[in-house]
Formats: sequence, structure tokens, C-alpha cells
Amino acid sequence: MGRFLFKRFYLTILVMLAVSIIAFGLIRLIPGDPAYVILGVNATDELVAETRVALALDKPIAVQYLIYLRNMLQGDLGMSTTYNQACATVLLPRIAGTMSLAFAAFLLAFVFSIPLGIIAGIKKGAFADLFATLFALLGNACSPVWIGSVLILVFAVQLKWLPTQGYGTLKSIILPAITLGLAMSASIVRQLRSGMYETLQEDYITATRARGVPRISIYGKYALKNAMMPVITVIGINIAQMLAGSAVVETVFGWPGLGSMLVTAINNRDYSLLQACILVSCVIFVLANLLLDIMYSLADPRAKLE
Amino acid sequence: MKRSDLLRKMRKSKFFMLGVAMGLILLFSVLVIPEVMELDPIKTDLKNVLSAPQWFSNGLTGHIFGTDGVGRDMLARLLYGGRTSLMIVFLGMALPSVIDIVIGVAAGYYGGVFDVIVMRIVEIILSLPQTILAIATMAILGANTYNLVIVLLLTSWVGYCRMARSTVMQFRNSEFVQASKLLGASDRSIMFRQILPNCFTPLIISSSQQAGRIILIEASLSFLGCGVPPPDPTWGLMIAEGRTYITYAPWTVIIPGLFLMYAVLAFSFLGDGIRDVLDPKNKD
Repeated sequence: MGRFLFKRFYLTILVMLAVSIIAFGLIRLIPGDPAYVILGVNATDELVAETRVALALDKPIAVQYLIYLRNMLQGDLGMSTTYNQACATVLLPRIAGTMSLAFAAFLLAFVFSIPLGIIAGIKKGAFADLFATLFALLGNACSPVWIGSVLILVFAVQLKWLPTQGYGTLKSIILPAITLGLAMSASIVRQLRSGMYETLQEDYITATRARGVPRISIYGKYALKNAMMPVITVIGINIAQMLAGSAVVETVFGWPGLGSMLVTAINNRDYSLLQACILVSCVIFVLANLLLDIMYSLADPRAKLE
Repeated sequence: MKRSDLLRKMRKSKFFMLGVAMGLILLFSVLVIPEVMELDPIKTDLKNVLSAPQWFSNGLTGHIFGTDGVGRDMLARLLYGGRTSLMIVFLGMALPSVIDIVIGVAAGYYGGVFDVIVMRIVEIILSLPQTILAIATMAILGANTYNLVIVLLLTSWVGYCRMARSTVMQFRNSEFVQASKLLGASDRSIMFRQILPNCFTPLIISSSQQAGRIILIEASLSFLGCGVPPPDPTWGLMIAEGRTYITYAPWTVIIPGLFLMYAVLAFSFLGDGIRDVLDPKNKD
């Protein structure tokens, strides 16, 4: 365990360094003076000169990077030209926005897809199984842009049950959460259905049945534990898609999160903000993956041997 | 595997047959129909802005799937958009495959420091949120089809690299490789003529399963304005443009989404089917 954790943390540090290099480097890819790039074309000469000193643009690129790294570690992510505020100040509430949306999407995906996957795996060929198969197929084939728009059309425009935009109320989070969680739900159903079915064919399950263990505990305790392991992997893969999907979903529903902030930064050519968004999104992603890996190795002792 | 064996497996796999059928219909639609019907995806018809789909009430003339916000024929845009999507999928699968095979095979074959460095880089790239980086890179490089392919390449090459490497590792010490070495074959010849053919099966399986994902990423990027720039049509861009009129012209959003879904399903069936056919673990 110790060795696994050490290797995992070591990799995480390498990845974080790569993230900082990418965030630093992307801005330098834009042609022109980085000071003008960051401040916009309308900046005063005075401000540009000040920024040039702050970014150490007269020094070699390696020194510039180290200064960037130092500022970043101190929580200084630069100034946003769109908001005229420090990027860190603008981004902090947005993290909560993305997190709450992601959490709601997780919750919906779980509550819906785990029972569906289990039932479909137990009763192969039944109506629930057919429904689960269709759901798994179509759920993964929908673009979040499209499903979000269709949900708005049906539930907000036609039925008028739920708002199209909004933030902070329970009603306003339902549609974006469904949109964001759909792909994950579909993957969970697909994986759990086949996992459950395969596990139930195993000898140890037959043995448990023969011993007269009640069905409910065979399904819930013995089979589910085994069938859930690949599901955790699927969830890990889906975290990546969720983070990317959040850019789309937040834009569709006007949800104030990191993803919609990234899009705002792009549209306004606010490169400091863009840099900060990339950095924060990547860090959240890397930390989420680290957490998931640790959880996985705790849940399945076989995992850390690899 | 014998050819008759392969054909039998193909015919037996429902996924494969369904995927091939759906794929051929799609290919025929986007390549042949626009030419035969002389469709124009850019021409605007300002007298018929946002006209509802006529389906086939006028036969094959008129706007079968209606028109969009500036009066462009939806069918024409859908089919030309399909062309762009298929081209991006093809390049997005083919380019990483070639690069990965070379790097992966070399890393697996030589091992040592080169292998460690390559694998470390692969691990780092796999730990980054690729679509977020794709969005950011597109924003900085500028939205066009050429950059889109490069960005897809940069964010997706690592997957196959690992696979090619592990296949090579598996065969590196096998008897036929040692025999070739004894006979005086060069490293390059062993790598590319003896070992490489063994990598194709897992590569074809995994890249066919990637295709649907590439279509969806392209749609998301185009929606965010970081993909194929207008006025060239793509399905993602059409959904994005249609969203303005969704309340009174819902077909501008719904129909491109259905095309997208069809294409993703076709690729996913094809992917599953190819796995059924090629996977040696699948005996019957």
C-alpha cells in the first residue's frame, strides 16, 4: 500500500508540473508580446511596462516560468481583463458552481442507474433488461449539447415545469444535472448489467445459493461487491468526460461554473482568465483521479499489485 | 485466422452486420446524395427562412428537412456536415494510430530509458483532462478544421501507444523473434515486419471504439466555437446555431442531433462487431 501511494503521489506531482507548464506555455503560443496578450490591445503603456516587469519578460523563459510558478503557488493567478478582478477571486465561487452541478449529476446517475443495472443483470431478457440496454446505447450516443437543448424544449418550453436558466434553486439544477449525468448513467448501466450477469454465473454464487443464503443478500452483498469494481473504473473515466461536458452543459443552461467561465474567457480573449481556468480545471481533475485511485485500491486489494 | 473463418464470424456477429449496414448507409448518404441531388449547404434562401420540414410531401424537391435561420437547406447542411465529421473521425483515428504504433513499438522493443521516458509522458498525458485542453488549445490556435485534427491528435495519441507497447513486450522474447535475430534480421525488420502485424488487431478494435467519441468531441468543440468555423456545416455547429430558434423551429436542433446519434450508434455497433470478429478470445 505504501509503495502504491508513493508512486501515485509522485506521478501526481509530475502531472501538476506538466499542468503548470501547459498553462504557462499556451499563453506564450499566441503571437505578440505576452504583456499585450494578457492586458488586451487597449492597455496603457504604463500598465504594459508594469506587467512586463511583473512577468519578467526581459528575463529568459525558464525564469519567467519559475516566477509564474511562484505566483501560482501563492494563489496569484493574474488579473482578469473581463472582470477587472484577480482571477482567483472570480474563479473561487465558480468552483462551487461546477462542484455542485457535478455532485447533482453523480447523485442522479447513481440513484437511477445502479438499481437499473442490477435489475437488468439479474433478470436478463426481461423488460427492465431491454430498457437498460436501450438506455445504455442511446445515452452514450447523445451529444450533451443536443440532449440539453431537447430537455429545455420539452420540460421548460413545452411543459413549463422547470426553468431554462438559473442558479441556486433545486428546480434549476435538475435539467443540467440530467444532461451532465446522462453519459455516466449509461456507462454505469452498461457495465453493471454485464458485470452482475457474469458474477451471478460464478461458482461461488452457486455455492452461496446452495447454502440457502437468501436471494436479497446474494444479489446485494455477494454479487454486487464484485460487479461494482469495474463500475468504479467507469466512473473514473467519466469524471474526465464530465469536466469537459461541464463546459458545454454550463453554456447551454447558463450555469455559473468553471466550464462556462472558460468559454467566457475564450470569447473575450481574456487570456489570464483562460490560463487560470485551465489550471484550476486540470488540478481538480488530477485530484479527483487521485482520490478515486486511492479509493479503488482500498476497495480492491488486487488493484495495487499491478 | 482463415478467411472463411473470418467471414463466418462476421456473418454471425449481429453488431458487426448492423454496424456495417448503418455505416454504409451513412457513407452513401454523405458522399453520393449531395452530388446526385445537387445540394448546396451554403446557399441562402431568404424567402424561406426557418421553413418547417416538408419531409417527402414534394417528392425529392424542396426543403425535405426544412431550412435554418438564414434559409439554408437543412438536408444539404446535414449531409455536408456528415462529410466533415467523417473526415475528422477518419483523420482522428488514422493519424494517432500511425504515430502511436511507431512510438509504442519502439518503446516496447528497446525498453530501457527510452521506454521509461515515453511511458512517463504517456501517464502524464492520460492524467490530464483532454477535452478541456483541446478547448483551450483550439481557442489559442484559432478555430479551423486543420487545427482541430491536430488537437485531436495531440490529445488522443497516447491511448494506442500503451497498447502497441504491451503487445510488443508480449512478443519481444517469443521464439519467432529470437529465431529471426539468430538469422541476422535487423532491429527495424524485426520490429516492423515480425512484431508489428500482431499489434493490428487490438489497434483496430480500440480505434473503432474511439470513433463515436471523436464525433461527440467534435460536436462539443464546434458548439463552443472551438471546432470547425462557420459557414462550413457540422452537426455540432448546426445544433449550436439552431438553439437560437429552438422555441419556434425545433427541427433546427432536433434533426442534427438525431444524425449525430445515428453516426455514433453506427460506430459503436461497428466497434463491438469488430471486437467480436477479431478478438481471438471469442472462439465461436
